[in-house]
Amino acid sequence: MSGSDKEAVGGEAAEGRAFVPSRRTVLVLGAAAASTVITVRPALAQTAGSVLNCEIPVPGPHAGGNYIAPDGNLVPPGTQGAAPPLARPLRGEEARQLLRGNTPPGVNPQSAQAYANYIRRLQSGMSGFTCYASLQMPR
Amino acid sequence: MAGPRYVADPEDLVRVVELDGLSALFHEPSGMTHIVAAPAPQILDMLRAAPADAAELLRRLRACYDFEGDEAAESIHARLEELETAGLVRRA
Repeated sequence: MSGSDKEAVGGEAAEGRAFVPSRRTVLVLGAAAASTVITVRPALAQTAGSVLNCEIPVPGPHAGGNYIAPDGNLVPPGTQGAAPPLARPLRGEEARQLLRGNTPPGVNPQSAQAYANYIRRLQSGMSGFTCYASLQMPR
Repeated sequence: MAGPRYVADPEDLVRVVELDGLSALFHEPSGMTHIVAAPAPQILDMLRAAPADAAELLRRLRACYDFEGDEAAESIHARLEELETAGLVRRA
């Protein structure tokens, strides 16, 4: 991982917030190829094969029939600009493609971002969450 | 043409523990834990305030920090990409 090796930087102001650093610190953005994020392998680790074949329904059974807004939120069926439910669950590999900005076969490219954002919003206990979490594990 | 705009989850959804120069982040919505180095925490701070594309994010960061090196534009895209992959930011 790369990072600042000069002055410590942390938690300063975002736009619109009151706090401004009293002196300017140097922020090292790092080389493009260097990584600044490591994801800790969760306890629900699965094998690589099962990750690629696990399934994520979009949306889950709790929201059957609802459409998905571009930001990933569930909205009533027929909402303008929202994506219809997928006819079948996405396999892990298809979800991985979506999260990388690609469109797997059979998915409307104009709806891909909505589906990707829905997957990113999955929370523990929701159908497909374990599959999504496993997709993020480093190999 | 402007690039994609990104947003980060609010502070109350991400627990942060400082680790002597690194930060451990527990992202409650995904249940995932990440260990991050600068500039990731600073980027997340900026994107919590409001969505931004890479150019706007750089402008906000420049308002608070000096940058080392002259590859800021290239590097910020890489940082956003890895934060998106980790699920810590998403497209607005």
